[in-house]
Amino acid sequence: MAMSGMRGLSVFISDIRNCQNKEQERLRVDKELGNIRTRFKNEKALTPYEKKKYVWKMLYIYMLGYDVDFGHMEAVSLISAPKYPEKQVGYIVTSSLLNENHDFLRLAINTVRNDIIGRNETFQCLALTMIMKVDNCHHIMSSILKVGNIGGREFAESLAPDVQRLLISSSCRPLVRKKAALCLLRLYRKNPDVVNVDGWADRMAQLLDERDLGVLTSSMSLLVALVSNNHEAYWSCLPKCIKILERLARNQDIPQEYTYYGIPSPWLQVKTMRALQYFPTIEDPNARRSLFEVLQRILMGTDVVKNVNKNNASHAVLFEALALVMHLDAEKEMMSQCVALLGKFIAVREPNIRYLGLENMTRMLMVTDVQDIIKRHQAQIITSLKDPDISIRRRALDLLYGMCDVSNAKDIVEELLQYLSTAEFAMREELALKAAILAEKFAPDLSWYVDVILQLIDKAGDFVSDDIWFRVVQFVTNNEDLQPYAAAKAREYLDKPAIHETMVKVSAYILGEFGHLLARRPGCSPKEIFSIIHEKLPTVSTSTISILLSTYAKILMHSQPPDPELQNQIWTIFKKYESSIEVEIQQRAVEYFALSRKGAALMDILAEMPKFPERQSALIKKAEDTEVDTAEQSAIRLRAQQQSQTSNALVVTEQSHANGTPPVGQLSIVKIPSMSSNVDDISAGQMAQENGTLSKIDSQPPSGDLLGDLLGPLAIEGPPSGNTHTRSSSNSGLEGTVVDATAIVPAGEVTNSVQPIGNIAERFHALCVKDSGVLYEDPYIQIGIKAEWRAHHGHLVLFLGNKNTSPLVSVQALILPPTHLKMELSLVPETIPPRAQVQCPLEVINLHPSRDVAVLDFSYMFGNDMVNVKLRLPAVLNKFLQPISVSAEEFFPQWRSLPGPPLKLQEVVRGVRPLPLLEMANLFNSYHLTVSPGLDPNPNNLVASTTFYSESTRAMLCLVSTYVETTNLALQSVPTNSIVIRIETDPADRTQLRMTVASGDPTLTFELKEFIKDQLVTIPIGIRVPTHPAPTSPVSQPTSAPAALTDPGAMLAALL
Amino acid sequence: MPVAASAIYFLNLRGDVLINRLYRDDVGGNMVDAFRTHIMQTKELGTCPVRQIGGCSFFYMRIGNVYIVIVVSNNANVACAFKFVVEAVALFRSYFGGAFDEDAIRNNFVLIYELLDEIMDFGYPQNLSPEILKLYITQEGVRSPFLSKLTDRPVPNATLQVTGAVGWRREGLVYRKNEVFLDIVESVNLLMSSKGSVLRCDVTGKILMKCFLSGMPDLKLGLNDKIGLEKEAQLKSRPTKSGKSIELDDVTFHQCVNLTRFNSEKTVSFVPPDGEFELMKYRITEGVNLPFKVLPTIKELGRSRIEVNVKVKSVFGAKMFALGVVVKIPVPKQTAKTNFTVTSGRAKYNASIDSLVWKIRKFPGQTESTLNAEVELISTTTEKKSWTRPPIQMEFQVPMFTASGLRVRFLKVWEKSGYNTVEWVRYITKAGSYEIRC
Repeated sequence: MAMSGMRGLSVFISDIRNCQNKEQERLRVDKELGNIRTRFKNEKALTPYEKKKYVWKMLYIYMLGYDVDFGHMEAVSLISAPKYPEKQVGYIVTSSLLNENHDFLRLAINTVRNDIIGRNETFQCLALTMIMKVDNCHHIMSSILKVGNIGGREFAESLAPDVQRLLISSSCRPLVRKKAALCLLRLYRKNPDVVNVDGWADRMAQLLDERDLGVLTSSMSLLVALVSNNHEAYWSCLPKCIKILERLARNQDIPQEYTYYGIPSPWLQVKTMRALQYFPTIEDPNARRSLFEVLQRILMGTDVVKNVNKNNASHAVLFEALALVMHLDAEKEMMSQCVALLGKFIAVREPNIRYLGLENMTRMLMVTDVQDIIKRHQAQIITSLKDPDISIRRRALDLLYGMCDVSNAKDIVEELLQYLSTAEFAMREELALKAAILAEKFAPDLSWYVDVILQLIDKAGDFVSDDIWFRVVQFVTNNEDLQPYAAAKAREYLDKPAIHETMVKVSAYILGEFGHLLARRPGCSPKEIFSIIHEKLPTVSTSTISILLSTYAKILMHSQPPDPELQNQIWTIFKKYESSIEVEIQQRAVEYFALSRKGAALMDILAEMPKFPERQSALIKKAEDTEVDTAEQSAIRLRAQQQSQTSNALVVTEQSHANGTPPVGQLSIVKIPSMSSNVDDISAGQMAQENGTLSKIDSQPPSGDLLGDLLGPLAIEGPPSGNTHTRSSSNSGLEGTVVDATAIVPAGEVTNSVQPIGNIAERFHALCVKDSGVLYEDPYIQIGIKAEWRAHHGHLVLFLGNKNTSPLVSVQALILPPTHLKMELSLVPETIPPRAQVQCPLEVINLHPSRDVAVLDFSYMFGNDMVNVKLRLPAVLNKFLQPISVSAEEFFPQWRSLPGPPLKLQEVVRGVRPLPLLEMANLFNSYHLTVSPGLDPNPNNLVASTTFYSESTRAMLCLVSTYVETTNLALQSVPTNSIVIRIETDPADRTQLRMTVASGDPTLTFELKEFIKDQLVTIPIGIRVPTHPAPTSPVSQPTSAPAALTDPGAMLAALL
Repeated sequence: MPVAASAIYFLNLRGDVLINRLYRDDVGGNMVDAFRTHIMQTKELGTCPVRQIGGCSFFYMRIGNVYIVIVVSNNANVACAFKFVVEAVALFRSYFGGAFDEDAIRNNFVLIYELLDEIMDFGYPQNLSPEILKLYITQEGVRSPFLSKLTDRPVPNATLQVTGAVGWRREGLVYRKNEVFLDIVESVNLLMSSKGSVLRCDVTGKILMKCFLSGMPDLKLGLNDKIGLEKEAQLKSRPTKSGKSIELDDVTFHQCVNLTRFNSEKTVSFVPPDGEFELMKYRITEGVNLPFKVLPTIKELGRSRIEVNVKVKSVFGAKMFALGVVVKIPVPKQTAKTNFTVTSGRAKYNASIDSLVWKIRKFPGQTESTLNAEVELISTTTEKKSWTRPPIQMEFQVPMFTASGLRVRFLKVWEKSGYNTVEWVRYITKAGSYEIRC
C-alpha cells in the first residue's frame, strides 16, 4: 500500500493513540477535522497525494466513531483519479462513508460505470467490489436499495446491464467474471428486477457451460438465488447442473487448485446440489438416472477419515447429497443406503459427525418409509441418549420421539423412563413430556399407559407437568375397565415411603374416585386408604390439599355402611380446614362437611365424575408448541400430526386448559354426576352458589368451559327460546349428533318431535349398575332417578325437572310393572311449573326373580307438542342382590350341596365381549355379585356369590363360577337363599366361557343365569365409545323366558 | 453537623483512582467503578454535579485535570460536601505551592493521606485551616541534618490553637518590617442579550490579605459600604461626604473578624492570622460598572459564508487598562476557512472549541477595538438544523478597577508596641462568565 510515505497520517494516528483520555482524543480529532476542512476548502492547492492523505484521515476518524459529514465529494472525486492508489482510496472510502447520501452515489455511478466498461481489469474489479460493498456493507444502503428509493434503484438498474455484460463476455478474465457474478447476485438480492427472466435464463445456462471452476462457483451462487425465486424459468439449467455434478464426481478436468483435500471443489458440489433442490422433481429419466449415479457415488465414496478438514468437506457434500436424495424421493434402496450411512455416522466417536448423523436421520423421518430401516439403529440411537454431549442427547431424543411407533413404543418408552432418572435437569421436562406422549399415542393397552405415567411421575415428579397427570386422570375416568387397575396401582405407589407431590395428587384423585372398586382387597378398605392418603397431607401444598379433601369426601361417601370412626376422623379434618386461610380449601371443607352431614341422600353428589369430553391431547399440543423452533423439528411435527390423526383411537379426551380451568377446579365443590338432578342437589348447588363460586345456573353456550359442563346440571335449564338447540350436560359425545338429527327426523313421527338428549339405552344400562342418575333428558325435561334398595324393597324417586321457562302441561306417568314386581307410583302432578322440579317417589317390591323390567310410560305437552316416551326403569334383577363374600370353606360345601339342574345350571356362553379377567370381576362386583378371588385354584376361573332377596324367597345365596376346563363338582344342598356363580374362561378365546349358576331356587337360577349371560354378551362398556350402537336390551334376547312375552311391560320393553 | 462524605476519591481524566480515602464503611470500595462507568464514560459528565447510582450519591467536581468525587450513602449535606472539597483543594494548594493537578497529587501521596486523615473524621469535616495544619503536619521534604536548630522553633501548643481565644494566631511573632497587603478581587458575571439589554449581572468579590505584623495587632478596615457609612454618620452625627456607597450582599467574614463589634459598630475589626488569608467575601447585584461593552453582528450569508463583526469598547477610566483580553466568538462546526481583520490584537480559529479566538494583550480604557471576520463553511452531507449561535465569551483582567465601585477608606493597625506599618492596597476585576448573546 502506498501509505508508507504518508507521514501526516501516521503522526495523526500516533497522536490519537497517545491520547490519555477521551477528551484529549476528541480535541485532537476536532483539530484535525478543522484542518481537513481548511485544506479541502482551498482545493486548488491539494495535490492527489494530499487529497488521498486527508481522505484516509477522514476514514480513520470515521472508524473511531466520530461523525464525518463532509469531504464525500473529495472521496468520490478520487474514484475518477487515473492512478490505482488514489482510485483504491476513493472506492474504499466511498463504500464506507457513503451510506445515506444518494446524491453523491449518483455522482459516483458514472465513474463506476466507466471503470466497469473500461478495459482495465484491476479497475473493473475495484468497481465491482465497490458495488458489492455499497450494497452489502451498509444496511442503511441496502434498505435504500431494497425499497423503492430512487437513488439506490437507479444505481442498481443503471449498472446491472454492464455487470451482466461483463459476466458473459468471453474476453474477460475469470477473475473479473467471478466478481461480476457475485456482484450481479448482490444486485439481484436487492432488486430482483435487475435480472430479466426471459433473456437471462439462456445466458445462465450458457454460463454453466463454463470450464473455469471459479466462475462456475460464483455463477452457481447466482443460480441458487435465481432458482429459489423462480425455478420455472431455469429448467434448462437442470441438465447442466447434473453435468457439472458428474464432472466433479468423476473428478474430470479439475485443476489442482480447486481440489480440496482430494475432493473436487466441495463448494461447487454443495451449491449445485442446493440448486437442484429448488427444482420440484426431475422428470427426465436419463437425467434422473445419471444424477442418482452421481449421488450414489457420493454416498459410497464418503467415509470418515482422520483429517478434520477433509471430513468437513466430504461431509458437507454428503449431507447436501442426503438432502437432495430426500428431496428427490429416491428409491427405497437408495434411502436405505442413506440410512445405513447415517447409521455408520451415529456410531462414530466424533461428536460433530454423530450430531449430524442424528439430525439427518430425524430429517429422514419425513420420508416415512425409511422408518423401518431407521429402526434397525434403535440400539445405537439409544446409546447416543447417554452421550456426554447434550446436543447429541437432544438430537437422539428427537429422533427417538420421531421414530417411535406401535411396534417399538414399549422399548423406547421404557428406555426413556430408564434414562429419565439419570438425565440432567435441563432435559427432564422435555423427556417426560415426550415419554408421556409416546406412551399415550402408542400404548398397546391402557394399563401399560397408566404404568408408564405413574412411573414417570415417580421418577421425575418435578418435571412432570400438570398436563401429563391430568391426562391420566382423563383416561382412567373415561375407561371404566381401567379404573380398578389404576386404583390398585395408585395404592401401591402410596406405600412408598417418599413420593412426589404429583403422585400424591394422582393417587388421591384416583383412589377417591375409584378406591371403592378395590374395597375387597387387603389393605384397601376405605379406612386404610384414607389413612395412607392422610399420611401425606402434612407435606403437601395447598392445591394438593384441596384434592385430598375431595378424596376424603369421596372415601366417606363410598364407605357404606358408614364407619362412624372414619366419619369422625374425616369430619375433624373438614372442621380443621373450615378456617383455612386458603379460600379454595376453606370452601371445600365447609361444603363437604355440610354435604356429608346430610347423609346418604346426598351421596350421589359425590358420585363418580362423568366422563370427559373427547378432545385432542393437550400434551401433543404442548409438544408442538415447544417444537416450533427449527425447520427439522417442524418436519417431525408434521409427522407427529399425521400420526396423531391416525392414532386418534387412543387420543380420547383432553381437558380444556385454554380457559385456565385446572382440574382442581373441576373437582371443586360437589361433583355432581351430570345426570342426577334432585332437589337436594339443587339446594346443595344453591348453597354453593351463595358462596359465589358456582354461578353456572344460567344456560350458557354449548361450548362453555368444562367447569360449566360439569356443574351446569345443577340447574334445570331450558333452551333460550322455543325448541332451539340446547346445551346438554350429557356425558356422551352424542349430544351434537342427536341435536342435529332433529332436523332430519321424518315428519311422520310426530309423537316424538322432541329428540332425547343422550342415548336412553345407555342411560338405562348405566343406571343398572348405579343407583342414581339421569334416566331421560330432552330439551324440555330431565328425568332423574335415585334409588335405594333394601333387601327386596326398593325406594325410587323420580325427579321430573322442567328445563324451560314455560310450564309443562298434561304430564302423565304410568308404570307398567312386570308380574314379579309390585310398584306404586305416587301422584304425578299434571303441570310442572317453569324451571321447577317435582319428585315422585316410587315403591318397588320384588315378588320373585325375573329379568323383566318395569316400563314408565311418560308423556307431557310442551306448547302444542305432545311428547310420549316409554322408559325402562332400572329395577332389574341385580338390584335385589346383596353382595356377600364367602370363604372357601363355605363356598365349596354349598357348591357341592347344590345338585344339577334345575338348581344348578351350566351353559357355555359364546360371543362374549372379550374382557380381561380383572375387568370381568369388576363387572360382576358392580352387579352386586361378589367375586371371591383366590377361591378357585385356577386363576382363569371366577367364583362369585351373592344373596338374592324377594318377597317369596327372602334371601338366597347364589353362587356363580366360571371355568376353563370342566371340573367335576359334587353338588350338595345349600341354603335356599344363596346363589353361587362360577365362570370359567378360556384364556385362549376370551369370547367364550362357561358359566355355572347355582341357587336354591330353580327360577332364580335360570333367571340369574340368563341375566348374567345378557350382561356378559352386551357388557355395557359400549358407552365408552360414543358412536357404538346402543347395546341391545337384555330383554330382547331370544332367550328370554316365555313368561316374559306375556308380560305387557316386558313386551313394551322389548319394543324399545 | 451532618455527614459530608463516606469516601473521597481523586480520579484523573481517564478515571484512574489517584488517591482515595474511605471514611465510613457504608459504601463499598468499588463504588468508584460505578462512577466511572455511569458518569465518566457517558456524555452526562459535567451536566449535573450530583448523581445517584444505586444507593449512593456521587458529588463530583473537576479541578484542573483531577476529578474529586465524594460518595455518600445516606442523606448528606451536599453544600457542606462541596465546601469541604473546595477548602481541601485550597489547603492542598497552599501545601503544594499553588499547583493542584495529577502530578502534584502523585508527588505528595503521603502528605495528602496525612491531611485527609486530619481534615475529616468519620465523614465529619474538621479543621481545614492551613495556618493551623501547617503547624503540625510538616512534610517539607527531608530536612537537612545540618539545620538542627530545632530549639528555635516554638513548641506548638495545640490546645491553645484549637480552643484559645485567638486560635488563628501565634504569639510572639516579630517582623523587622511590618507590612499589610490587601487585595480586593472581583469577578464580573454577565449575560447580555443580542439587543444589548442586561439579562443577568452580578459581581462576586473577596478581600484577600497578607499580613507580616509583629505581636498581636488589632486591625480595623473601613470600606465605602452602605451600612458602615451610615453607622459612622450616625455615630459622628455628620453627613457622609462621598456620595457613593455600595450595598454589599451576602457578606461572609473570616473567623478572625470580631462579629460582636461588627454587629454593634459595623466596623470590620480583627486580629489577623499570620500570612495569607481571605478576610471577607461579598456579592453585589446592583450598580455594577461593566468594564466592557461588546457589539456583535453576525450575518449568515447563504449556506457557506458567515460575516462576523465584533466591536469591543472599554468603559473604564482612560488611565486604566485591561490585560489578557480574550474574546471567543463561536462559529459553526463546519467552519473551513477564516479571514480576519482586527484593529488590535490577534485572532485565529480554534477548531477544538469551534470558536474564533481574539486576543488583545493590553486594552486601554475608553477605547474601542473591532474584529471583522469572514468565515467560509464546508458543505456537509447531513442537513443540520440551523446553527444555534452560542454566546460570545470574554476573559479579561482590569487592575485598579472595581466593578462594584468598592473602595478601602481606611485600614488602621493598632498594636501595643505602637510600631509603624506599611499598608498596600490593590484592586483587580476579572471576568467571571462574561457572555454576550449574538
